[in-house]
Amino acid sequence: MSLPDDPLAIDLLWSRLIATVNEQAAALMRTSFSSIVRDAGDLSAAVFDRRGRMVAQAVTGTPGHINSLATGMSYILERFPIETIGEGDVIVTNDPWKTASQLHDISVVTPLFRNGHLVAFFGSCCHTPDIGGRGLGADARSIHEEGLFIPIMKLMEAGRMNATFQAFFEANVRTPFEGMKDIEAQMVGNQAGADQLAAFLESAGLEDIEDLSDIITDRSEAAMRARIAELEDGEYEAELECDGFDAPLTLKLRLEVRGDSLTARYVDVPPRAQSGINVALNYTAAYTLYGLKCALSPDIPNNDGALRPIAVDAPRGSLLAAEYPAAVCGRHMIGHYLPTLVFRALAEARPENVLAGGFDALWDTHVFGDDDGTGKAYSLTWFSSGGVGAMHGLDGLSATAFPSGVAATPIEVAEERGPIRFLYRKLREDSGGAGRWKGGLGQSMAFEVGGRGPVWFSTMYDRVRTTAPGLFGGGDGAPGSVVAEPGGALSAKAVHRLEPGTIVRLDLPGGGGYGPAETGQ
Amino acid sequence: MSGWRIGADIGGTFTDLVLRDDQTGAVALEKLLTTPEQPDDAVIAGVAALVDRSGLAAAGLDALLHATTLFTNALIQRRGAKTALITTAGFEDTIEIAREHRFDMYDLRMRRPEPLAPKALRFGVVERVMPDGSVHTPLDEASLAEAVRAVRTSGAEAVGVCLLHAYANPAHEQEVAARLAADLPEVAVTLSSEVAPEIREYERTSTVLANAYVQGIAERYLDRMLSRLAELGAPERLFVMQSDGGLLTPSTAARLPIRLVESGPAAGALAAAAHARAMGLKNVISFDMGGTTAKAALIVECQPLTAPEFEIDRRYKFHAGSGLPVRVPVIEMIEIGTGGGSIARVDALGRLQVGPESAGSAPGPAAYGRGGDKPTVTDADLILGRLGEKSFLGGDMALEIEAARNSVDADLSSLALSTEAAAAGIVAMAEETMAQAARIHAIERGVDLPDFTVFAFGGAGPVHAWGVAERLGTSEIVYPASAGVMSALGLLTAPIAFERARGLTCLLDDVDYETVNAALSALAAEALAEVEQAQPGQPSISRAVFLRYQRQIQEVRVPIRSGDALDRAAVEQLKTDFAAAYRAIYGRASEAPIEAVSWRVTASFPTPPAPFPEMAPGSGEADVAIKGQRPLWIGGEFVEVPVYDRYRLGRGHRFEGPALIEERESTVVLAGPAEAEIGDFGEIRVKRA
Repeated sequence: MSLPDDPLAIDLLWSRLIATVNEQAAALMRTSFSSIVRDAGDLSAAVFDRRGRMVAQAVTGTPGHINSLATGMSYILERFPIETIGEGDVIVTNDPWKTASQLHDISVVTPLFRNGHLVAFFGSCCHTPDIGGRGLGADARSIHEEGLFIPIMKLMEAGRMNATFQAFFEANVRTPFEGMKDIEAQMVGNQAGADQLAAFLESAGLEDIEDLSDIITDRSEAAMRARIAELEDGEYEAELECDGFDAPLTLKLRLEVRGDSLTARYVDVPPRAQSGINVALNYTAAYTLYGLKCALSPDIPNNDGALRPIAVDAPRGSLLAAEYPAAVCGRHMIGHYLPTLVFRALAEARPENVLAGGFDALWDTHVFGDDDGTGKAYSLTWFSSGGVGAMHGLDGLSATAFPSGVAATPIEVAEERGPIRFLYRKLREDSGGAGRWKGGLGQSMAFEVGGRGPVWFSTMYDRVRTTAPGLFGGGDGAPGSVVAEPGGALSAKAVHRLEPGTIVRLDLPGGGGYGPAETGQ
Repeated sequence: MSGWRIGADIGGTFTDLVLRDDQTGAVALEKLLTTPEQPDDAVIAGVAALVDRSGLAAAGLDALLHATTLFTNALIQRRGAKTALITTAGFEDTIEIAREHRFDMYDLRMRRPEPLAPKALRFGVVERVMPDGSVHTPLDEASLAEAVRAVRTSGAEAVGVCLLHAYANPAHEQEVAARLAADLPEVAVTLSSEVAPEIREYERTSTVLANAYVQGIAERYLDRMLSRLAELGAPERLFVMQSDGGLLTPSTAARLPIRLVESGPAAGALAAAAHARAMGLKNVISFDMGGTTAKAALIVECQPLTAPEFEIDRRYKFHAGSGLPVRVPVIEMIEIGTGGGSIARVDALGRLQVGPESAGSAPGPAAYGRGGDKPTVTDADLILGRLGEKSFLGGDMALEIEAARNSVDADLSSLALSTEAAAAGIVAMAEETMAQAARIHAIERGVDLPDFTVFAFGGAGPVHAWGVAERLGTSEIVYPASAGVMSALGLLTAPIAFERARGLTCLLDDVDYETVNAALSALAAEALAEVEQAQPGQPSISRAVFLRYQRQIQEVRVPIRSGDALDRAAVEQLKTDFAAAYRAIYGRASEAPIEAVSWRVTASFPTPPAPFPEMAPGSGEADVAIKGQRPLWIGGEFVEVPVYDRYRLGRGHRFEGPALIEERESTVVLAGPAEAEIGDFGEIRVKRA
């Protein structure tokens, strides 16, 4: 049966299709086991047509997951052409080059069959609590130190669990139970979405979503092209400094606008790092597209069509298009800067739609040891945010996750789960850049580590050597710092051995200001 | 006990009252305009009118059961007390840092709500309690004296106290309270260990501040209400509804007003549950659609589902995370920005969108002729014959169909559709949005909606329940009588009850029975103390625990079946019950260790009888109630359908859809083939064909 001619009927079908992925995400969140999915919201969910094009995504998640899942689907269909996928099959992978650029991010894809024909795919990507290897950190030399690599493979075949996969997985990660439960939750979520879509196709009298997908992606593409065409043809350039692993490095972006197409080209990109801050091109594209969307088209739905007019390019094998066997676990310490780079490139053209520089790269803290004082091993991970850049008309947000969007762990929960005591956690006064609109404040926190025996403290911090730049004459944000007492200043990207009783003080960076301070007085 | 009670619900526009004579079962209704300056005025006037009309003596009033949006409004409009916060030194900014979260992914202008206590009113005291309740640093006298001095200097009228891990050991908070009471007796004080003794410092602080913020308003309001009731000759007869559907005494309510914030909607859900019980329906989804929002609650096995937390004032398109979190038990309700006043527009992709922007009641829909010119859901309803031009609000307010048509033609011209087709699009999109929100909520709670009956009320609920039911795949819809006073009716169905909770985390394999039993006994004593003075008789005690698999986030409420001290057998039973409950919600259980998170004890009196009077049998056929015909837009064309006068329909009358049934506050729209029958209590029971 074919689609109705009535444009309103199409709008309703579109809305209903988006609902299936929100239902998928709700089922996934409900059944997931780990706090990182539920509490921090670190997940994405989407529906794809037979051709592997993302047609709708859930309104949740982080940019790195969502946009990389969109491109990842084409690799999955390359490995398993559609005729090799059967009813009851489920596909899994954490291939960093083909999906989210980190072994911790596991993608699961479930096909929907109707009357024996494959009609759509539901996919999701979640951050697993542990993937073995060195643990979450940026100091690996190659991907092989970072944990278990899951090539694109069948997780289920004809409704039966792939026992070999499960055995390998459970033998190679530190939290096998939670990890498997989250993968199961992804399957449950995908299935919930698929069930809803099946019911929807039935009630709408449709065989598949191919025609609807054409309309949705074409309309989104047209809207996106119209937005790009509003920009004057030409090149928009920007550069941005960040800490790097051993020494600061500069990222350079050139946006090339030609009519209604845009190419985001990274130029003079540093070579692949000998540490874990390398970024696979998928993830580079994900955060670049996210920045463009925030500045140009926050109201246009994110799908294959909206992404079509934009190309993202970086030299093969470089820091921003790293290839096997580069280490990538700390890829967000570079990737999270890309939206700010996009904003700086568009600042003159869209001064009211962009942010000044912010702290950008999420601070990941990991504290672990073998004895919490009662003989039990413990492992604490939490994410913290500094100040966001100001924008026209608004001071920057203080201590808020941008661009990642990931929520923090309550102090009381962290203290309940391991031998740690916080001394303070507060907004960091005067850390925001001056300006007509001031940069957001970073935060300061201190904690004392306890337990017995050595305490391992893994830092994945950035903007301690460089500052978040202001915009249009606004001042820079204050840089961050990490200090141990006793011990003094610590490296921001390493695993440190501490003795119980050590106090760690973290000052997170502030955001940049917007416009010179005088004009507002 | 002379056996009559009144339920009084203060809403944004109307104050509704229902009097029930429990001996005869007779019910009388009263509806007045809300008096926002002095909200008790309308209540007292309504009580006087009902007493007068019923020929009863005010002194015989057993109970005035009350729900109000007063405290919610004070929080939304930021009209509460100047409120200070005392917290553990070093953590004064917790309320501002919140969860460091953003609730909209793409909107760079997104802002979290401003804290109720600004930075200049947040003061630290040196002290430290650890998660196990042990004291790491005793409360420092000098810092306490300094903080109390700072509160005095600031001129704060209320203080919230939230110290780290106070849920595990409230001693330091109690010391702070004692000092505040001694030095600043006129300042209202709320302790986190009293209002929300559970882990997670941001949510707890937010709850404490919200309570402190409205405490003064609550105290003054309830005092005034009590004294005016005494003047009427009915002293000490006031009870107030909590957000979880239990009733409180005024003294407890004045201390913990944050427990009352969702009292009106909670009472509405209770009414739906009571109807379900009376009508023999098991599973119901209540659907309450008004001018700016629609609310839905799931009622499973005749009980509304509850949640331990909710958000006040989700001011960003009703997004989760954009409001003030409060950790108090509530009847779980989803609220979305779709109402009669929701505005339709065409977005950048040429798609029709409806809401959440609303024309409200001023200027209101274009058809109101009060200056509104944007097309709304109500305008669409009028164009399609779903509402009558001359029968809106019983004919008191004429609707202007030309204005409605003009608004649709002007704003939605890019759709290139006929006025009727565009209006039908508005209705379809609004109903689709509501159905989707309900379906996602059902998935979150693991229930299957097609088995549910839709229970429709509110001004716009009966107009749109058909379309929502159709989209949810449910075949039964109930339209209760007296839909305009549903919350006031629900108040009469509520038991007097109070729940106390305490956070006390431990593995079920590792329970310290002494500690847990001591905590349960203390909670029971506290809960009993709250309800015992309320009415004669012996309240019953029920206990529950929130369990989860170790380190999982989602908790499941599991009743403790045994009434005795907790022992190994009772814990084994808890494990079994948890696994069963978990399987029911999530489809599978696990072998992981089970962890208890918080323990809860409820003291309650029995649920009173349903307040719905039985309706007299209708005489003759339902046709006697037909007052005319009207073209109704169904499936792309106008169809002439009968218009029934609801007040002339009697018990047992049967008729078929499509049809319209008009009553004063709303219109029931049966937009397709259906069997309809008037039930025992005057409700219209509809089975879609």
